[in-house]
Amino acid sequence: MASNAAAPFWRAAGMTYITYSNICANLVRNCLKEPYKTEAISRERVHFAVSKWAEGKPEKPNVICVSA
Amino acid sequence: MAMAALRREGRRFAPLISPHPMAAVRSSIIPAEEQVPLGVRSISTQIVRNRMKSVKNIQKITKAMKMVAASKLRAIQVKAENSRGLWQPFTALLGDSPSVSVKKDVIVTISSDKGLCGGINSTSVKISKAFRKLNAGPEKETKYVILGEKAKAQLIRDSKKDIELCITELQKNPLNYTQVSVIADDILKNVEFDALRIIFNKFQSVVSFLPTVSTVLSPEIVERESEAGGKLGDLDSYEIEGGETKSEILQNLAEFQFSCVMFNAVLENACSEQGARMSAMDSSSRNAGEMLDRLTLTYNRTRQASITTELIEIISGASALSG
Repeated sequence: MASNAAAPFWRAAGMTYITYSNICANLVRNCLKEPYKTEAISRERVHFAVSKWAEGKPEKPNVICVSA
Repeated sequence: MAMAALRREGRRFAPLISPHPMAAVRSSIIPAEEQVPLGVRSISTQIVRNRMKSVKNIQKITKAMKMVAASKLRAIQVKAENSRGLWQPFTALLGDSPSVSVKKDVIVTISSDKGLCGGINSTSVKISKAFRKLNAGPEKETKYVILGEKAKAQLIRDSKKDIELCITELQKNPLNYTQVSVIADDILKNVEFDALRIIFNKFQSVVSFLPTVSTVLSPEIVERESEAGGKLGDLDSYEIEGGETKSEILQNLAEFQFSCVMFNAVLENACSEQGARMSAMDSSSRNAGEMLDRLTLTYNRTRQASITTELIEIISGASALSG
């Protein structure tokens, strides 16, 4: 971490800028009026499987699925 | 009437009598005469007919796959072209420096989960390997982060020790920024890097894809490079608003740049995948058509030959009786 004591609160909580901006974007999406709200939220679905590798062997894949 | 019965009989028995029934199945393109033993009068066309049927079915399937790929391509191409606006400002600001030499390189290879799309996956794997070789040296570490099933299968063979992270099943839902940014976040958190090299196929047209490397530097390296001057040296001429320091800004920028570049790369690669699948399926349905033509020719010729033989037999038998 290059930032020091003056780091913003979200970085102090261990977030990256990406997480922070995603949370902000989600807040904005929730402020939309219907029917645009459901449309915008259903567009942003997250689904993928991630597996870490150690010593040339894959560990158990971890499926991340967020259907907002 | 008797001849027809005999012909049917002969057709039924030919595969049974044939000494190499398996060989007959395997190479049914070769005219069947060569495999029929002596004494069998007519030639079985059953095998060729079966083969024709299966080729016809394969052609139908590849044609359908081409249609599907074409319609998917249209949807994703618009998205990919729109997403180019995301990384261009970053390149204008920070530049793209593939030649920067750092200790910890992380190569992010982007590929597809599904096959049957020509050579795009092996292209990105090949570029990744070449890049690794190019940047190899003492005190240097190169790790792979793999997106997609196909690059994993290829890289597992010779460099599985260097694989750090593997991400698959991206395209269950239509690709969107949230998903890619969560992936980028995962990569940032789990992998130590000085520079990220994202390797993907940039979509140019339905038939041409440019293998591309985009580089995202870590904030420390950006700072080091900006002191050295060049494009990054101009960073100091920008005014920074608010109470943040330059290193904070750089870190935020680097993270956001990574997610944007990843988003574009994933979309471009998906677009290239559909384009490559379209042209692959097009050529395979054409090949199936050619094969069908050849088989039909063989089939008709054999049928004609057996009819001619039978006619000769009838006529010569009749003339022997009457003469």
